[in-house]
Amino acid sequence: MTATRKLASVQRDWRERDVRVVLAALVIAVATVATIALFASHLQRTMMTSASTFLAADRQLTAGTGQPIPDTWLAEARERGLATGRMVEFSTMVFGDQGFQLVAVKAVSSDYPLRGDIEWQASPDALREIRQQGPGQGELWVNPRLLRLLEIEPGDTVEVGNLSLQVTGLLLREPDGGFNLAALSPRVMMHADDVAATGVIQDGSRVSFTALFAGEEQTLDAYQNWLEPQLAASHRWRSIRDAEALAGSLEKAEGFLLLGGSLAVLLAAVAVAVASRQYALGQRDVVALLKTLGLTGRGIGRLYFVRLLVWGLAGALGGLLLALPAYWGLAAVLAQMLDQPLGFRLDWTALGPALMTALVALFAFAWPPVYRLRKVPAMRVLRSQPGEGGQYAWLDLLLAVAAIFGLVWWYTGEPGLVVALLGGVAALMLVMGVVGWLLVLTLRKLGGGGGSSWRLALVALYRHRRSSLAQIAVFAMTLMLAATLILVRSSLLEDWQAQLPDDAPNHFLINIAPDDVDEVASFLTARGLSQEAIYPMVRGRLTHINGVPVRQAVTKDEDVNALNRELNLTWMASLPADNRLTAGEWFAPGQREGVSVESELASQLAIGLGDELGFTIGAEVISEPVTSIRTVQWDSMKPNFYMAFPPDSALARMPSTWITSFYLEADQKAAINDFTRRFPTVSVLEVDHIIERIQQIVAQVTQAIEAILALILAAALVVMAAVVSATLQDRQREGALLRTLGGRQRLLVRSTMLEFALLGFLAGLLAVIGAEMALWALQQRMFDGDFRWHWQVVLPFPFISALLLALFGRWQLRPVLTVSPMVLLRRLE
Amino acid sequence: MTDNPTRSQDTILKVSDLSHWVDLANDTLTILQGVSLEIKRGESAAIVGRSGSGKTTLLGLLAGLDVPSQGKVHLDGAEISALSEDQRAQLRAQRVGFVFQSFQLLPAMTALENVMLPLELAGHENPEASARELLERVGLGDRTGHTPRQLSGGEQQRVAIARAFASHPVILFADEPTGNLDNHTGQAISDLMMALNREQGTTLVMVTHDQQLADRCDRQFAIDGGALQEVARS
Ligand SMILES: Nc1ncnc2c1ncn2[C@@H]1O[C@H](COP(=O)(O)OP(=O)(O)OP(=O)(O)O)[C@@H](O)[C@H]1O
Ligand SMILES: [Mg+2]
Repeated sequence: MTATRKLASVQRDWRERDVRVVLAALVIAVATVATIALFASHLQRTMMTSASTFLAADRQLTAGTGQPIPDTWLAEARERGLATGRMVEFSTMVFGDQGFQLVAVKAVSSDYPLRGDIEWQASPDALREIRQQGPGQGELWVNPRLLRLLEIEPGDTVEVGNLSLQVTGLLLREPDGGFNLAALSPRVMMHADDVAATGVIQDGSRVSFTALFAGEEQTLDAYQNWLEPQLAASHRWRSIRDAEALAGSLEKAEGFLLLGGSLAVLLAAVAVAVASRQYALGQRDVVALLKTLGLTGRGIGRLYFVRLLVWGLAGALGGLLLALPAYWGLAAVLAQMLDQPLGFRLDWTALGPALMTALVALFAFAWPPVYRLRKVPAMRVLRSQPGEGGQYAWLDLLLAVAAIFGLVWWYTGEPGLVVALLGGVAALMLVMGVVGWLLVLTLRKLGGGGGSSWRLALVALYRHRRSSLAQIAVFAMTLMLAATLILVRSSLLEDWQAQLPDDAPNHFLINIAPDDVDEVASFLTARGLSQEAIYPMVRGRLTHINGVPVRQAVTKDEDVNALNRELNLTWMASLPADNRLTAGEWFAPGQREGVSVESELASQLAIGLGDELGFTIGAEVISEPVTSIRTVQWDSMKPNFYMAFPPDSALARMPSTWITSFYLEADQKAAINDFTRRFPTVSVLEVDHIIERIQQIVAQVTQAIEAILALILAAALVVMAAVVSATLQDRQREGALLRTLGGRQRLLVRSTMLEFALLGFLAGLLAVIGAEMALWALQQRMFDGDFRWHWQVVLPFPFISALLLALFGRWQLRPVLTVSPMVLLRRLE
Repeated sequence: MTDNPTRSQDTILKVSDLSHWVDLANDTLTILQGVSLEIKRGESAAIVGRSGSGKTTLLGLLAGLDVPSQGKVHLDGAEISALSEDQRAQLRAQRVGFVFQSFQLLPAMTALENVMLPLELAGHENPEASARELLERVGLGDRTGHTPRQLSGGEQQRVAIARAFASHPVILFADEPTGNLDNHTGQAISDLMMALNREQGTTLVMVTHDQQLADRCDRQFAIDGGALQEVARS
């Protein structure tokens, strides 16, 4: 190898400490970002598949107008490689030998369900079975309640319109069942190809056609793009994200992953910046010598450019080599918790951000100081020159900041996140400036004199004030990012925990006759089942607002779903614990007038306090003024109502049924059979499966979050190690000198540890302040304000970082203490 | 360059009325004032003076590592202040050698590679052979694979001398080449430099505190308070 080649060789570089640090920072940057990206994509696919079962597909297209969905649309989907299925839903009468009953029919094609499964029972006493397909032609599966209502047995035939179908089983759970309380009539399921023969669907009848789609995300997106221009206003394209109960959790989890990834990018950039600056400083002598020996500025520029490029490649490669097993490990852990684990798959698009991070970190952060090496005067080879401290020029700093936040933006697509982080960092720097100034002011007073380790530590801090401040800044920023993430995590987990506690109600009882209310309650109590509050329910339509028919009052084009169907109206004495008033007053005891409206519906319909709402219930009309607006936790798995009246209101005189929910453990399932036998007309809505699913997903996300947090903290530690070891030589030389001059080892150890502890404490303190500020911004922009404050979580931060840094300092001193000062001074020459 | 009319047949270094000052925070510090000198090809010259008198600064200016605030330096026919930084670098690569008080070897490279480096930068034919030859000549033929850390100070300086002479420079600048070495080793290093100077006919300009070494040079200059004067030989 020629000497010039060797000059540019990374293998040789590897022997230099600063290069190792730059490379390590790069490797970690790429590894963290790639792992997070890969895992996030994996997680997303997992969640999609789990959540898909809520739709029985990946996407649903519903046509509400009674118009079927064109076959050509489905054909196009199949052509693109998507799986498809069809669903027709309508209400009709079914006739048995003994009577008839209004039922909610779901007719499904043979492909149904594309995702998830059906729970089925051959007869009331048979085992519950899992089915991957709906009933065949000529068959009918019915809700167990229908057996009582029609007094039929499995095997009997019933008439649906013109068609006789044989009841071949009981439908216990459908994957896309949800808990649509509007579907009060018992569910029956038949084959879609039988629908025409029943003759019940005529033009204009209330029927909804749904097409189901499943397949690769990209294909689905492409198909959606193709389809969208052809959709009418009444068509609804539903993705998993719309599946109500999950939407919130998923979005927040995604937000967290993005945040984690962005922090990794920031940390990596900091590490690369610190290490490469240190490297550039160390290279000045070499550059001066090379210039003296005749290398031109261009040659030097080229030399270092090539070097940076090679590092970038090496860092990217190393990072990916680390990321793949890390991802594989995470995916394996996740797989253990899942019923249907997802295969390990390399999502190449996830690697883009990682490589981009390496590139940007290198060229926005490492390049400026290295590039400036060209300007090192050759004269330096003879005597060091003043005025070449190697500070960042403002322009460089601007470039770096722009680059990194551009990267975060590109990576997350969240300008809000960028603003929050930028604001946090800026605020931190501001506080840093003030603290630095104060530090210098106080420390200067303490100068001179020797003796105690405290004094030595303070003097050392003052003497290195510039590098101390720089270190505090980097530590504070690193810790701030970590603290931010920890805070967000705590809030998220608590959120989910609060939303779905382990004993969240997982069964609904609907259609309880007023006479049965007490008996149902005692039935549940006898079995130790804790029942949520029980609410009366009256079905009615909102027909007038301030005397104007609602259709005219609401001029908006948008379709307000709540107006298309009957609403569940209730009366209640006190506000449910998880509802919150946003306007007005709750009903006073004895109050008989007024109605409390759910806030989202109120804003959709532009209803405010005092507006007079007219409801049509059967043939009667009641009219009440709005006295309060309240929010409702729709995903709380408890009975929730758009409209609530006071207990003694006009509504209370209407015929009503009652509704409640309760928690049932898996091994108590038999109680349901007892219950239906005892109260044959009460509908039991089993949502335990859905809840389990949600809890499982939340558990997955939690795991992922913990893993990513661990990764970020590891990255933060490396940044801190990089910064501390950047000053290693200086510190060691000073230590050696101090020992040469007769300082005792204990004094040296104590003062160094104290110095670092002080540094760490200050940095930790600043970090907490910065994190709170970043969170304040984040909460406004990303998490929609419902953020739980947890400042006590980060309270120990300053102390932990003080301890950590003190240990770092002690560790750095090792060689100074073990080797004779003579040897050390020579080695450090 | 060979037909440059200003080039005197045997003057290789010509300085006329050179002054150098640096701007400090609130005033200017004049380091050199009105320095003139002329050195002929193949001569050896020593510059002596008290510490802080400006010797190193002058050497840097003579070698084209920096440009004077005022005055001209002609090095082997080229006027240094008229050249760009890169042109000066090329000039150094082809015609100038250096020996430093603190050796200035690249720690990550072996002795051989350190010597080869300037040869490669100047685009020599067979850098390795020349480098080995020179290392042999300075008595380090068996240490070619060692890195500077594995060599003593005197050995490192010999590597530096080998590096300086390897590219057969027309002029060699040395800043206290024996300053970091003991008397005996310093003597050996001076012997080596003088010998190579004779063998290759290289012009030698060195700054030294070592009066013995200064006395062995053809000419001697003393610098005091920024002014340079030739010392008459006794
Ligand atoms: N760039 C500069 N800025 C400020 N002062 C300078 C600069 N360069 C040189 N000096 C000053 O000019 C004077 C001469 O410096 P120089 O290094 O040339 O001295 P010297 O004769 O080589 O000393 P020594 O024998 O100690 O090496 C010194 O006082 C030095 O501090
Ligand atoms: Mg000097």
